[in-house]
Amino acid sequence: MMEHEIMREIIQEFFKKTLTLRLFWLSTAVILLFILPLFISTAYISLISEMLIMALAGCALNLMMGYTGMVSFGPAGLYAVGAYTTALLLKKTGIPFAATMVAGPIMAGLVGAVVGWFCVRRTAVYFALLTLAFAQIIWTIFFEWYDFTGGDDGTVGFRKPELLLSINSSYYFILLIVIICLILLWIIVNSPFGKTLQAIRENPVRTEFIGVNVKRYQLYAFIISSLFLGAAGSLFAVFSGSVFPDYAHWIKSTDMIVICLLGGMYNFLGPVIGSAVYIFLSKLISGYTMYWMLFLGIIVVFLVLFMRNGIAGFISHKIAPLIQENKETEK
Amino acid sequence: MDIEAIMGQVLSGLSVGMVLFLIASGLSVIFGTLKILNLAHGTIYMIGGFLCYWITSTFAHIPAIFWLALILGPIATALLGGLIEIFLLRRIYAEEMLYQYILTFGLILILGELCKLIWGVGYHTVSVPWPVDGKMSIFGMIYPVYNIFLICCGVAVFIGLMAVMRFTGLGRIIRAVTFNREMANALGINVPMVYTGVFMLGCWLAGLAGTLMPPMSVVALGTDMAVIIDCFIIVVIGGMGSLSGAFIGAIILGLVNAFGISLLPKLTIAFGFLLMIIILIIRHWGLLGKPE
Repeated sequence: MMEHEIMREIIQEFFKKTLTLRLFWLSTAVILLFILPLFISTAYISLISEMLIMALAGCALNLMMGYTGMVSFGPAGLYAVGAYTTALLLKKTGIPFAATMVAGPIMAGLVGAVVGWFCVRRTAVYFALLTLAFAQIIWTIFFEWYDFTGGDDGTVGFRKPELLLSINSSYYFILLIVIICLILLWIIVNSPFGKTLQAIRENPVRTEFIGVNVKRYQLYAFIISSLFLGAAGSLFAVFSGSVFPDYAHWIKSTDMIVICLLGGMYNFLGPVIGSAVYIFLSKLISGYTMYWMLFLGIIVVFLVLFMRNGIAGFISHKIAPLIQENKETEK
Repeated sequence: MDIEAIMGQVLSGLSVGMVLFLIASGLSVIFGTLKILNLAHGTIYMIGGFLCYWITSTFAHIPAIFWLALILGPIATALLGGLIEIFLLRRIYAEEMLYQYILTFGLILILGELCKLIWGVGYHTVSVPWPVDGKMSIFGMIYPVYNIFLICCGVAVFIGLMAVMRFTGLGRIIRAVTFNREMANALGINVPMVYTGVFMLGCWLAGLAGTLMPPMSVVALGTDMAVIIDCFIIVVIGGMGSLSGAFIGAIILGLVNAFGISLLPKLTIAFGFLLMIIILIIRHWGLLGKPE
């Protein structure tokens, strides 16, 4: 009995320490991700690559949605701009691979600047509908401009550098880029600029009163979010070797929103968790049944009704205090 | 284009537009009163279509079964809407728009998969019912009577809804709740019941459109996704929450689509979205809405 108590105390102590030592967890996770290809099959590696890319897209969207409080229904439009830019450059021109990877996010950022310039003039539901309409316009362009984008057949068969032909090497490439992008995003949200964005989310009127040009900051957030969405799109184009108009469709946007919500919007790594769980569940359930969307729908409804802060929110609000509380009551 | 071809395009644009009006008016009324953007509204319409197919094919021996389906289908979707409102939507009125959007998206998935489970993935057709199955000539053009019938239905529902909203006690109550929820509540109006009622009305309208559409088109999965975006365009053009706005918006979109297909087929889809963007930028309360 005593031993059991002591064991519990040790475990709680361990959890309490490590929960506060976020860096420890993060570096463990990153190291694990780097050595993972040694242990598991390539099928799982490509699954994890997909998770990483969606995690980046989710975090990019979260900068706008979770941190600045601008709910966008059209992130997939900008994601697709990045994907198509990289794919078309690789297919139609001979410019170096690295340049195409940079061009994707930059093009998405430029489109995001134009779209965002119009969108930030509206708030709440009108902002959301405007982003939706712009994303659908982007979808229409990719869909209808058959001669240039291949329309419904997509843009396929573009060159890939030899270095990225194997699944493992492209996994390392994706992992590296995603980590760099996430670090950049982390720096941005924790900078004074990021804090201003959060102030805008909490109360735009007050933030305006203390001398912040709210519209301009919202536009910056929109552009930065577009850049990283474009980066995720470019990565996915290289990863899958094909791009389709449906990347820009509003269903894809909704996928991204669900990923943010599932992981937790008010947590930096929320979308990362969301992406991992979402893609894992989708593969797991669709392996058993053709009605996997039914389960996804039930999960989504459950999330909205009972777990609005997502998995990350659930852990930090419900489980972490539980561990600490136990500790205190024992004293 | 000669005058006859133009008239033909106008009539076909109007008949599609009127069906879209029936769906969009439900969406608009729901948004106006409940302040909820119901993504699953298109799915309710699709269910109406499946119900029409199911009733007409199962009880094919009963004469005039289509007309019975036209009565029963919308009632069934309204009841479904009532259940959705009471058990799900009621819990999230106080939450941010994002949660409402995602919840109703979840409903699209659940209801769509249930349709797949019940009716399968195939295409279904419903034959045009007597007595509107013939053709008639208008301005020298031979034209299906059913399309004219659809236009009449749309106009009749529009006039009926406007009359209910403006002249009956029920309409006054709905307008009062839309105008100021707290005040209406304080005056003794059962606001939750009005919400349920309005949501059921919206679903009834979607179900009506769903039952009317199959003879002209097909019943299939995925029609909900296309229709809901069209409805967003209509509601934004007309003004969110405005009935007459939805009517005008539906006519505009119907005509734009009909003429776009014959003039600039590639740009037609984009036109609707462009209209939506222009309205949102220069007059975001819509053509007939009220500025906040």
